[in-house]
Amino acid sequence: MALDLTLSRSAQGRAWSAAGWASALIRPPFLLYAPASLFLAVFFLAPLGLVIWMSVSEPTVGFDNYAEFFASKYDLNVLARTFQTALIVTITSLVFAYPVAYVAARKGGAVGSFLLGIVALSFWTSFLVRTYAWMVILGARGPVVGLLVALGVNPPPRLLFTTFAATFAMAHMLVPFMVLALYAVMKRIDEVYMRAAASLGARPLKAFLTVYLPQSLPGVLNGATLVFITCLGFYVTPTLIGSPQDKMIAGRIGQQIEQLLEFGAASATSMVLLAAAVALFVIYDRLFGIEKMWR
Amino acid sequence: MAKTVMALPRTTRRGLLSMLGGAMVAMPFIREARAAETLYINTWGGPWEEAARAILFNPFTAETGIEIRTIAPVSFAKLAAQTRTGIYEFDVTTLGVAELGRANHAKLIDTYDESKIPASSLWPGAVTLNGVNSHAFANIIAYRRDKIPNGGPRNWADFWDTTKFPGSRSLQNYPARVLAFALMADGVEPAKLFPYDLDRAFKSLDRIKKDVRVWWSQSPQSQQLLRDGEVELIGMWNTSAQAMVDQKQPIELVFDQAVIDVATWVVARGSPRTKNAWRFIEFAVGPERLAQFAQKNNYGPMNPASFKYLSPEIISHMPTSPQNLPKSVILDAEKLLPQLDVMAKRFEQWLST
Repeated sequence: MALDLTLSRSAQGRAWSAAGWASALIRPPFLLYAPASLFLAVFFLAPLGLVIWMSVSEPTVGFDNYAEFFASKYDLNVLARTFQTALIVTITSLVFAYPVAYVAARKGGAVGSFLLGIVALSFWTSFLVRTYAWMVILGARGPVVGLLVALGVNPPPRLLFTTFAATFAMAHMLVPFMVLALYAVMKRIDEVYMRAAASLGARPLKAFLTVYLPQSLPGVLNGATLVFITCLGFYVTPTLIGSPQDKMIAGRIGQQIEQLLEFGAASATSMVLLAAAVALFVIYDRLFGIEKMWR
Repeated sequence: MAKTVMALPRTTRRGLLSMLGGAMVAMPFIREARAAETLYINTWGGPWEEAARAILFNPFTAETGIEIRTIAPVSFAKLAAQTRTGIYEFDVTTLGVAELGRANHAKLIDTYDESKIPASSLWPGAVTLNGVNSHAFANIIAYRRDKIPNGGPRNWADFWDTTKFPGSRSLQNYPARVLAFALMADGVEPAKLFPYDLDRAFKSLDRIKKDVRVWWSQSPQSQQLLRDGEVELIGMWNTSAQAMVDQKQPIELVFDQAVIDVATWVVARGSPRTKNAWRFIEFAVGPERLAQFAQKNNYGPMNPASFKYLSPEIISHMPTSPQNLPKSVILDAEKLLPQLDVMAKRFEQWLST
């Protein structure tokens, strides 16, 4: 943003020239973003370039790895399942997150801080730790099965290593993203609108549906995009607590490297995943503007 | 993984910065020192590493002055990545028969000749495909005695019989071993197992697929699944299964139709420390030391001279004992080698559809 301002201001002042560029580049904003750019170039762009190179050069030069990916029914199925899982997880976490964000934003005060505190705690706990926690909770000796047995469900259902377990756990892990995205938007919705709706005779539900919900939609979109794209890359959770049939694309990449030593094919699969994520961002940007995501 | 993260020392930011600064200044010297003094070994971590450290690593350091650092867990992919990138995280690792075949074929491991380890330190047949045979372990059936009280499965056909022995099952995510189970379950004689009849093996696997709740990949995971009662029957290593029996868990082991795999020591090709790596391997397969290491883990030592140092009682628990060996099959690296890639791909697809 800062860069844009500087550039446009200098553009107004004089025509573009090499000197203009140079002076724009060495102005203080450059110094501010240089460390980050350098860091990204070395630790993100360079390795990414290497992966792209591997995907078209191993074992032979050409696009064979991509051709094979799109010719393989199996790989396409894994890709489709990954999108399907991400969609289900996104909807599930929206269902859980919306009420939390709603109450936190509208009540505020102690209740709001308490709710956001819980969300933040969960947010700060690593995915791996939370996956293991779900292993304990859903395990054959865990509290959920214990409760079901106490209620007379015999034999109790097996919960671990099922699609349900993986989906539920992933939704749980991504709820904080959703809550924070929703909260940021909801906090800016003026209470006056709801009061106005009530004073005009709208019942609470009607007021919510026609006044509040539409205003909170940008938050829903932000949250859904974040959650969906994060979920596309999930590896540990479906591998550890999902059913063997739940393989997502990150797990497939892991297998290509760990067991098949197909570095080229794995790189191509990674690029497909990256392209899918970028495509989603581009669509989002076209429709809503990417800079809105972080507001 | 979680363990590693938590084991990180608590450091203040200033402490960390000064450490980083120090490390940067010292970097060239550290590299020099390491090349001469240190050997990096890829281990299975946990109890395996403890035993290896006490019986193999520390005595080696005491004798040679070469320090040993470890990297866990054993990762075939890392071995492959090392020779590609030229950055060596470890110099020595252990491989099972299937990985040995693939690693040797892909030229990931240093070639053996007598200049590396003199023949006098080894025994006939000690070296297979540039790996030095160290110890054998068996892939056996283990089941919960308390859940299957009236006599459990006695072979893989029983393990496959879900009406006679209802319950959840688990097998290792490792096709070279699992396909052997599947073929024996379908009635193939152990002597006629190799090379695998893949179509028949996968047809046999289809019958058990829905009863295998989880395909384990690390040995502690196999123990946890059985201990927590997530599964009633499992195909797992005799080593980790015996450890559970020793802990008085209600678990029964079946050595009939055990599939024996051999762990071999190999040196990463191109590592700057190959000389010390071979020196370590020579040390590690010395008869008495290998006997102790095998005893600690219920492995069968591959050095025949090791048996002199073991009591009959101990030997009876080993997969290569006179009681257990005749009931088992040994994975045939050479006959499996041409099948390994197609097997791995087909198994992965079979697993997730």
